[in-house]
Amino acid sequence: MAFLALQLLIRRALLAVPILLCVSALVFLVLRLLPADPIAMSVPPGATQADYDQLRISFGLDRSLPEQYLIWLGKLLQGDFGGSIFFRRPVMELVAKALPATLELVGLGFLLGIVIGISGGLAMFMTRGRWGEQVLDGSTTVMMAIPEFLWAILLILFLGVVLPLFPFIGRLAPDLTLPVPLTGFLILDSALSLRVDLLASVLAHMALPAFALAIGIAPLLMRVLRSSLLETIHEDYVTQARLRGVSESRIVIRHAFPNAALPTLSLIGVQGGFMFGGTVLVEMIFAYPGLGNLMIDAVRNHDLPVIQAVALIYCVLVLGINAVVDVVYLAVNPRLRLKGRPA
Amino acid sequence: MTDFNRRQLMSLGAGAAALAGLGVPMDVLAQAGAKGQLTIGFPADLPTWDPNARTLAAVQSLYKLVFDQPLAQNEDASVKPALVTKYAFTNPTTLELDLRSDVKFHDGTPLTAEDFKYSFFERQQQPVPQGGRKLDTSFIWRKVSAIETPTANKVIMKFSEPMPSAVAWLYFLASFVVPKAHLEKVGVEEFTKKPIGSGPYKFVEYQQGARLVLEANEAYWGGAPKIKNVTIEFIRDPTARVAAFESKRIDVAIDVPIREAQRLGGQPGVTASIYPITDIVLLQITKNGGFADDKARLAAHHAIDKAAISKALFGGFAPTISVPAALGSPGYPTGYEFKFDAAKATALLKELGHGPDKPLKIKLASTNGVFPNDFDTARAIVQMWKKVGIEADLEAIETSVYQERLRAGTLPEATLFSWGNAAADPEFYGGYLLDPKSIFSAFKSDELAPKFQPLLVETDEAKRLSGYKAAHQFASERGFTIPLFQTVKTVVHTNQVNIVKHVNGHILPQTYSFKS
Repeated sequence: MAFLALQLLIRRALLAVPILLCVSALVFLVLRLLPADPIAMSVPPGATQADYDQLRISFGLDRSLPEQYLIWLGKLLQGDFGGSIFFRRPVMELVAKALPATLELVGLGFLLGIVIGISGGLAMFMTRGRWGEQVLDGSTTVMMAIPEFLWAILLILFLGVVLPLFPFIGRLAPDLTLPVPLTGFLILDSALSLRVDLLASVLAHMALPAFALAIGIAPLLMRVLRSSLLETIHEDYVTQARLRGVSESRIVIRHAFPNAALPTLSLIGVQGGFMFGGTVLVEMIFAYPGLGNLMIDAVRNHDLPVIQAVALIYCVLVLGINAVVDVVYLAVNPRLRLKGRPA
Repeated sequence: MTDFNRRQLMSLGAGAAALAGLGVPMDVLAQAGAKGQLTIGFPADLPTWDPNARTLAAVQSLYKLVFDQPLAQNEDASVKPALVTKYAFTNPTTLELDLRSDVKFHDGTPLTAEDFKYSFFERQQQPVPQGGRKLDTSFIWRKVSAIETPTANKVIMKFSEPMPSAVAWLYFLASFVVPKAHLEKVGVEEFTKKPIGSGPYKFVEYQQGARLVLEANEAYWGGAPKIKNVTIEFIRDPTARVAAFESKRIDVAIDVPIREAQRLGGQPGVTASIYPITDIVLLQITKNGGFADDKARLAAHHAIDKAAISKALFGGFAPTISVPAALGSPGYPTGYEFKFDAAKATALLKELGHGPDKPLKIKLASTNGVFPNDFDTARAIVQMWKKVGIEADLEAIETSVYQERLRAGTLPEATLFSWGNAAADPEFYGGYLLDPKSIFSAFKSDELAPKFQPLLVETDEAKRLSGYKAAHQFASERGFTIPLFQTVKTVVHTNQVNIVKHVNGHILPQTYSFKS
């Protein structure tokens, strides 16, 4: 199993190289073709046309597109994303500060989404044909019909304002100071520094944005799992189990669920990718200082080096999630492991 | 004793139960202001903590908390002494300044003329590192050829050519004094991690995109701020700023939509301050396409009922303007008014062979969401133009697209644009927006050059100001610009806080206090 997983990860890593090259070229090209001027956005008063031309040269924008791309790619391979036009700081520094916040948020959102999706899917199946299924089915429709950013606003309104249960600004309460950043992941840092008050504050601040993200994936998981279970429940081995007198709940959990979970697992991989996209608006609404907020600043100011870097990092994260899901898929699906074995 | 109704009791019970269940400690939900600190919901974050690096108008207030400028502004935007107690041009290219002798940086070192020289001359001369970029102050102070420091409190600025706006620049964008010795010792990178200034507040903590925590500088030369602890929460989304205020997580919310400000202002214990500032909104005009003829541009200007737009979209708080300058500012011609006159607009268009049946076709571009009600304003203008015989094709654009088109000279006939000028100096209005040599001007006319360019080096202040008044009026009367109204600032705050309104739009908690 471990060998097969390693083989799979290596295959995925090799495949990621051309994908990342294509994405980087595409993002680079599209940004350059937009009729927008990154330098003009930050030309200060007192600058002349000559200054403006000089600034274009200093950012390499006077060169041909292929030349610009190759220079950027060359630097990228050395771990240098270049300098931000707007922030006047290395892009790597900006990304390194924002990335842990987004990873932490998406991680929790992902976890919440999976828990709600699977438990909800099981509940829908167990209550099939009864009013419980109808209620749950209706709620998935509502969840899917409302976009994540609107959920974010509704959550703030109901759980932040009307019933002020959760904070909804930033990552930490105003009266608490950040621990010395060990990793940048505040959950980890507060745990490592043995600060329960920090940990509680961090989790409370993450609750609403993570829930807003989770709502984006949970209803789909619920519906797919319910459908898969409905198909699986008619399989011969389920009938055999029933004839053996196994209880209905045990049949569902022990026999039907492991098989029905496979399509759900594939969906989790796809939805995980979408979740990163959802962070852009959710982070802005919750004033959460992650990659999404950084992307908004970069787009508003047409800060090309930052947009390129964040887009590429999103791509790497999506590929990473898909690779992890593939490994999990391999672990839970014995047929795949058998296929991998030599005859 | 507080009385609760059944619904409130149920809410409290449910809330407490949920909190207990989730293990959320109550102090997580601590209400702002409860611990004697002021929390402000602010719409923008700083790009860098080097105050000389960027001229970003939206965050100058934040720099002013930690750093000082040589001069400052009163509430009405007039100039007042700050680090500089006395200033005078001794000849057209020499500006002499006296500095206060009792100013100390937050690390206790005295602020002297050497720090001034470093901030306004030496830093600009330093070589730019590979891949780096010049400080914005390098462009602003490019005419400074030398700075002499005969004593620790005397500065003599020498200019390569007259720079009459130098005094205004001493209280405008990015012109802050930084500590030379400290910056040279630690380098820019370390400095921006924990900046030291001489301003009213000391830097405590900063999380990019999230929060800035400050404490009062008790040794501040202007007197210690009354509010000792200030937290700035960066909340970009206006809805979230409103929600944060309503849930009492912040004491002051900046730039909330006017309707929301009016609604919140009607609630007990809340005050909404809605006031016009020196920033303006105008139509940047070109002579491209349908606007080649003066009459067409003048008709377009006469057709806009600015007062109606102000009333409908800005609650009537946005004063209408007839020249590209704030009412009452030094460059505004007293008593001049460009009247809304639909009949005159119709007549002018008729002379060009146009009318509602045969409309003049033009393009109008506008940002959408960059400043309050921008696209709605553009739509209202389209409707007003339609009545007199101008058919405008409205296009939503990004600011970066506007800048690209401005640079390339491809802007359409009209573009709705917001222009910031906290200093309210006329050079930063017409001097930048209408001088054809300026990179910010849209209408490139040889007729405008002789009106504005001599003023850029005019050192007789009275002549300079009267020159700008006349030039602004000329530009408006010839249809080279269509000024609309001043921008409106909204500050919603609890009644526990006394705020001070500054017409330059700055948010300065060092001037605020808690009610006793």
